[in-house]
Amino acid sequence: MNNIDFTACPECDLLLKPTAPVVGDKAHCPRCGYLLHRPRKQSIERTFALSIAGLILIFPAYFMPIVGIIVLGKSKDGTLWTGVINLFAEHLWGVAVLVFLSSILFPLLNIIFSLLISVHLYFKKPNRYLALWMRWLQHIDEWAMLEIYTLGIIVACVKISSLAELKFGLGLYAFIALLIVTGMLASSLDKVLFWRQIGQLKPEKSNVNGADK
Amino acid sequence: MKSKKTALAQGFIRCHDCGCLSKLSDNLNVCTLCGGRLHPRLPHSLQRTVALLLSASFLYIPANIFPIMTYTKLGVGEPHTIIGGIISLINGDMVPIAMLVLVASILVPMLKLLGISLLLLNVHYRWQTHPKKWTMLYRVIAFVGRWSMLDIFMISILVALVDLGGVATVIAGTAATAFAAVVVLTMFAAKNFDPRLIWDKQR
Repeated sequence: MNNIDFTACPECDLLLKPTAPVVGDKAHCPRCGYLLHRPRKQSIERTFALSIAGLILIFPAYFMPIVGIIVLGKSKDGTLWTGVINLFAEHLWGVAVLVFLSSILFPLLNIIFSLLISVHLYFKKPNRYLALWMRWLQHIDEWAMLEIYTLGIIVACVKISSLAELKFGLGLYAFIALLIVTGMLASSLDKVLFWRQIGQLKPEKSNVNGADK
Repeated sequence: MKSKKTALAQGFIRCHDCGCLSKLSDNLNVCTLCGGRLHPRLPHSLQRTVALLLSASFLYIPANIFPIMTYTKLGVGEPHTIIGGIISLINGDMVPIAMLVLVASILVPMLKLLGISLLLLNVHYRWQTHPKKWTMLYRVIAFVGRWSMLDIFMISILVALVDLGGVATVIAGTAATAFAAVVVLTMFAAKNFDPRLIWDKQR
């Protein structure tokens, strides 16, 4: 690690002295008001636990029926997965890929990366891919859109409620639980703390850098 | 002298990924902690944002003209545009949901296209007033952008669900692709805009 004991605001580049984080406090940038750091209680442990919970919930949420309709005696169930498949079948490949990425692949990767990183940090095991995973996690974060999918489900249900009879499946409960878990996961993952820990778990590399200087 | 306070002015580069600082004088290409590429500011921020924004605004036209989905019941079907879908929701006495769709699929994309253009103009012409408010505008745009996906997800569910052969089917239309592209392009445009440019221009 380098020995610079300053930080900078990511949105206005103001040079700042880092303060000692206290749980419950929020550190805002004095110039632009950006939320710099919000320390979380037991961030690593909670991320670990919640990502396991997410991993358990994610497959029933994907593959079990979320809602079903009954029209004139015929019934049909819809899952996250069949939504993507049907879009593919209708040759809307762009939309299908986008829905697949934002509602299936990225939420899954989000949970997997959170699990991998928090396991390594919890057991204090260095891994050369830690920083890479953390960077990917940050890039993926914005593109995992389960909460928006939930709104989509609500609007879709309202739209067809007048045309067909609706029934809710087990997948819906798994999906709602998954939504809550991923929400808690996002808020318990303290990025500043994680990066600091990743930096501390990287002794070999800092020696190499020190030798270079 | 506000500009003196930035990390860059004092010879530090902040890593975009992990946030740690490196000395400008070390001439590093990658961050020593995380291995991310170091740039003082996002590279070609304004050019990339303009390009993405222009593509998005052109696609906004087909997204609103062409039908986004077709609902067929017992062989009788009618294509709906985005606005048509909202109007049919209002006619069906579902005004709150109609408002939700209106905000997510009409107002938010328009706000993004307008807001990002204003941010670009602000940086280009160095409007010196209220940098904090401009940063707020940037934050709102970056936060709100993903919510336009609502319409796309709704179609994805309807397509999976209403697939009963001759009885009832929903088929997604060409506008869905255009609209999805608008959402993705504006999200990338917001991501490529570097809010620090607003503050760099302060005297």
